[in-house]
Amino acid sequence: MIESPSFDHRPDPELGAALRAALEPADDQSVFLARVMAQYDNVLDRSSVAMFDVLASWFRPGMVAAAAALVLGILFGRTILDRMSPESIDAALAPLEGPGLAALVTAEDPPDPSVVFTSLVEP
Amino acid sequence: MGSSGDDAGLVARTRAGDRAAFGILVERYAGQARRVARAVLGDPDDADDAAQDGFLSALVKLGQYDSRRPFGPWLMRIVANASTDRRRRRNVRKVEPLDTSLVGGGPRPDAAAMRSELNQRLRAALAELPERRRKAVVLFDVEGYSHAEIAGILGIPEGTVRSEVFHARRRLRTLLADWKEPMR
Repeated sequence: MIESPSFDHRPDPELGAALRAALEPADDQSVFLARVMAQYDNVLDRSSVAMFDVLASWFRPGMVAAAAALVLGILFGRTILDRMSPESIDAALAPLEGPGLAALVTAEDPPDPSVVFTSLVEP
Repeated sequence: MGSSGDDAGLVARTRAGDRAAFGILVERYAGQARRVARAVLGDPDDADDAAQDGFLSALVKLGQYDSRRPFGPWLMRIVANASTDRRRRRNVRKVEPLDTSLVGGGPRPDAAAMRSELNQRLRAALAELPERRRKAVVLFDVEGYSHAEIAGILGIPEGTVRSEVFHARRRLRTLLADWKEPMR
C-alpha cells in the first residue's frame, strides 16, 4: 500500500482496489438489476396512491370551505338585492319627470299617443 | 461513475416515465451502491436490500433532483442514508467480532484461499471503523468521489471528510500491517 501523507488529496489505488474486491458482490449484477426493476411499477403506483391520499385528505376541508363560501355568497347577494329592489312597480315605471303612470291612467281626457310613444322611445 | 451529462439525460427520460432509462441508471450505479451499502451493513443481503431501497427512493424523489448537479453524489447520499436507516431499523447485528487471527496475522493459508482471506481481513478491518469513517474511505478510495462530493453525500464539512479518510486509512493499514501479500 502507498504510505500517503496525512490528508492526501489523491485516492490510494492499492487500498482502493483491495477494498473494492472485498466489497464486490459475488453474484451477477443482472440479478440485482432485475429485482430493482421488478419493483419499478409498484413504487410508482404507491407514490401515485400516496398523492391521491394527500388529495383525499384535502377533499373534506375543501368541501366545507366551499360550502361556507357558497352560504356567505348567498347571504351577501340577498342583502345587496334587498337594498336594490324598487319599492313599487309604480315607482319603477315612473318617468324621471311628469305625473307618472297613475296620472296617465286616471286622466279624464285620453292622452296624446304621440306624446306617450315619444316618452317611451326617448328616455 | 457515469458522465453527468448522460446521467442528466437519463434522469430526464426517467422523469418522463421511461422505464428503460431508469434501468440504465440502476445498471450504471448498482456496483457503487451495493459496495457502499455493504461497507455500512457488512452483510451482503442486507446491503442489497438497502441498495434497492436507495434506488427506489431515488426514483420517487427524482423530482427533487437538481439536474445541474452530478447525479452520482445525490444518489449515493440516498443509498448511504438508506443503509444507515436499515442498520438502525433492524438493529443489525454487530458485524461478527473480529477474528484476531485474521487481523493480527495468524498462519497464512496457501494460494487458493489467500485472496479470500485478504478480502475477509479487509471487511473485518472495515467493520472495526465507525460508520461515517467507513463510508468516507470507501467513497474516496474505492468510488473515486472528491472530498467535496463526499462532504455533500455525508452532510459533513470537507475538512471532516479529509480527517475521516486519513484515520480510516491509518486504521486499515495498522490492522493489515502484517499482510505482506501484494494487493493486486
